[in-house]
Amino acid sequence: MSIAFLFPGQGSQVPGMLHELPDHPVVHQTMAETGEILGMNVLTIDTEEKLQSTVSVQLCLLVSEVAAARVLLEEGVRPDMAAGHSVGAFAAAVIAGAMDFPSAITTVKRRAELMEQAYPEGYGMGVVTGLKQDNIIKLTADEFSKDMPVYPANLNAEDQVTLAGDKRGIEFILRLAKQEGARKAFLLPVSVPSHCELLHGVSKELTAELDKIPFKNPSIPCLSNSTARALRKGEDIRHDLAVSIARPVKWHEATLLMKEMGATLFLEMPPGRVLTDLAGAALPSVRSLSFARSGIKSAVLLGKRYRNGRERII
Amino acid sequence: MINEATEERSWTTRRDKKAKKILQASQLAEDKILPAEKMVEALEMLISPGDRVVLEGDNQKQASFLSHVLTQLDPQKVNQLHMIMSSISRPEHLDIFEYGIAEKIDFAYAGPQSLRVAQMLEDGKLKMGEIHTYLELFGRLFIDLIPNVALIAADQADVKGNLYTGANTEETPTIVEAAAFKDGIVIAQVNELVDELPRVDIPGSWIDFVVAADKPYQLEPLFTRDPRHITDLQVLMAMMTIRGVYERHQVQSLNHGIGYNTAAIELLLPTYGESLGLKGKICKHWALNPHPTLIPAIESGWVESIHCFGGEVGMEQYVAARPDVFFTGRDGSLRSNRAMSQVAGQYAVDLFVGSTLQMDRDGNSSTVTSGRLAGFGGAPNMGHDPRGRRHSTPAWLDMRTSNDELARGRKLVVQMVETFQKGNEPVFVESMDAVKVGLDANLATAPIMIYGDDVTHVVTEEGIAYLYKSDSVEERRQALSAVAGVTPIGLQHDTKQTAALRNKGLIAFPEDLGVNRTEAKRSLLAAKSVEEIVDWSKGLYNPPASFRSW
Repeated sequence: MSIAFLFPGQGSQVPGMLHELPDHPVVHQTMAETGEILGMNVLTIDTEEKLQSTVSVQLCLLVSEVAAARVLLEEGVRPDMAAGHSVGAFAAAVIAGAMDFPSAITTVKRRAELMEQAYPEGYGMGVVTGLKQDNIIKLTADEFSKDMPVYPANLNAEDQVTLAGDKRGIEFILRLAKQEGARKAFLLPVSVPSHCELLHGVSKELTAELDKIPFKNPSIPCLSNSTARALRKGEDIRHDLAVSIARPVKWHEATLLMKEMGATLFLEMPPGRVLTDLAGAALPSVRSLSFARSGIKSAVLLGKRYRNGRERII
Repeated sequence: MINEATEERSWTTRRDKKAKKILQASQLAEDKILPAEKMVEALEMLISPGDRVVLEGDNQKQASFLSHVLTQLDPQKVNQLHMIMSSISRPEHLDIFEYGIAEKIDFAYAGPQSLRVAQMLEDGKLKMGEIHTYLELFGRLFIDLIPNVALIAADQADVKGNLYTGANTEETPTIVEAAAFKDGIVIAQVNELVDELPRVDIPGSWIDFVVAADKPYQLEPLFTRDPRHITDLQVLMAMMTIRGVYERHQVQSLNHGIGYNTAAIELLLPTYGESLGLKGKICKHWALNPHPTLIPAIESGWVESIHCFGGEVGMEQYVAARPDVFFTGRDGSLRSNRAMSQVAGQYAVDLFVGSTLQMDRDGNSSTVTSGRLAGFGGAPNMGHDPRGRRHSTPAWLDMRTSNDELARGRKLVVQMVETFQKGNEPVFVESMDAVKVGLDANLATAPIMIYGDDVTHVVTEEGIAYLYKSDSVEERRQALSAVAGVTPIGLQHDTKQTAALRNKGLIAFPEDLGVNRTEAKRSLLAAKSVEEIVDWSKGLYNPPASFRSW
């Protein structure tokens, strides 16, 4: 009977996302806190236009996820583990008590700026579904070219992998994947080749930023993006946040691991829905719920029921 | 002449050490009863660093209270434990390694924790002993893995420490025996303390301490298969198996795996089997858990006896009402025994049928998949030919392929698989994931579940390969590929050889067996839902909530 909080990454943003958070004192307080650090009203950056910038996207996700998780904590729903996808890992680290929220805001902002500046054009990401992870990994390795590098970036499900790298190279791999029987293979509207070694420079600068910040041992384990391990030390979380931007996100493996660690309920923070669906597909016997889709009432109700051990999974 | 060194040696070191610990922990206890809230303190007294600890837990029953207490121990006081477990099932079984309480593990099965085991092994967080079959692990408890401490689970205890383990006796007596008679310490968690037990499954003199747990031990319904999920294709394969294996070789005693394929066979006996006039001729004696899907066959008079490895949630009342068929105690309830039933399943039955996720061209099979270190529990015990066997039965003798005067029979080891599993993954492959997992994890041998040279028959939706009849490796491979469909192995089949293989009896298609594909429908099943099984049981079967849809 354990609860895992899931914190989504880029791709989950929706215009107006911060305005859709519940009207709860903890939410208002989180917004105010963010405003103080950033020196502006964060509620102005969740418009469709502002969300064209990865900086706004990453900040809005962080704020939304931390605010929502704080509401759940306030209402008595306590997680036993936390897992964030890509930038979501920062919100997970905050909720687990490994880093403080102000530090997360400044680091995420810096992270996003570095990413934005890294590859102004010609690079991006794509997604392939319906082929096994191993096959896609092998395909990208076999077809690798230095001129048009492509790497597996997010290992999201047994049969869903995103690719990062040179746009032309990605298009080439997408075509091959279709020939090999992929269900879907298309380019994502993303200009940063995240989670591959092209972001090694970003990772280095991020390491320097994170080294300035104090980290504590978390009160609950946080799942690593880069290794799919349960992290129980502040130092390990710091390291993972720094290196994972240049390494593939092993999300599927992390999801499976959480079940083995005892997770019987996955609760995904808003505005995310994707991680809920991935968990549902990977682990039909584990209940998963998206705060954004089902609303705060359901999230609190279900969370408490699992907390009190009334719901039993066989 | 007396050697001085010999004179000085103490021959009671284990006994003395145990006596000291028992005396210390007795201060926390009243008679043999330890209070639940003192268990951390008690275990810190009773377990020493480096001790070999058997923690009871198999694929059904778990000493879940004691495993939780283990995680609470101070790693400064208790560490480097060598854990011995039939099954690594619960999160805390591995948490104790992360916390620095335990160090090494010997086990038989790790399905529910197989990813974490692989990760922790790779990270050096646990030292791997060996992966065993159940019987090997039980055997080693008496040879070179003799426990210092056994942590076990029972339903009830009295103040003298007598235990009632009831339907889920399983491996408790085996574990307790290995510890109790070699001066190990035996601690039992019980669901309740009572004045009088329904029957004594384990005598109190083998038990050192008892604790009443805050919650009943964890118990999973593992062998319940809902007939709703049985497909027409599985019905076809079950019909082929009944005709082409059970009837052909007069299989009278057997073990079934837990898949839907074998559930289909069980549910076809009273219908299809009956129509073939096979009642009383096949499937009379079983080494089997109390499968609900066998109820219609039992009620129709097919089954003479069943010895069980463990119990099954919901089957208690039914079993108790059928003592002519099941092994029961004086109180009327089931007595299971995993070690004894594994021995029976290995040596005393004609046939084992199981399923697998992958099989190679030589019929080797494994359920180990990429990145997961699972082990196999009992399947390899039953899924091999025990060459020490001496007693004969018609089916065993029917496996002889030569007229040599010393020719002996063989256990029938049948693998029943659809050529593709869910997700369009071929079952028949060039190289099994298990090979790579074995290399990655530095195992001494690849984690094979059933070796190809033990397999006598492979049944697929295409037909049956009678591997035991083949004269050569090449012929064997041809026979297997002939029934492997459009998998990588099936595509290697030389169709010019099909007719010859059929004539020689190395392969058989449904029509060769008198099985009509169009008749293979779910409507043939004696029960098509859990409700119908309940009806067959005359209301005695009480399915767990998760299997109730009405």
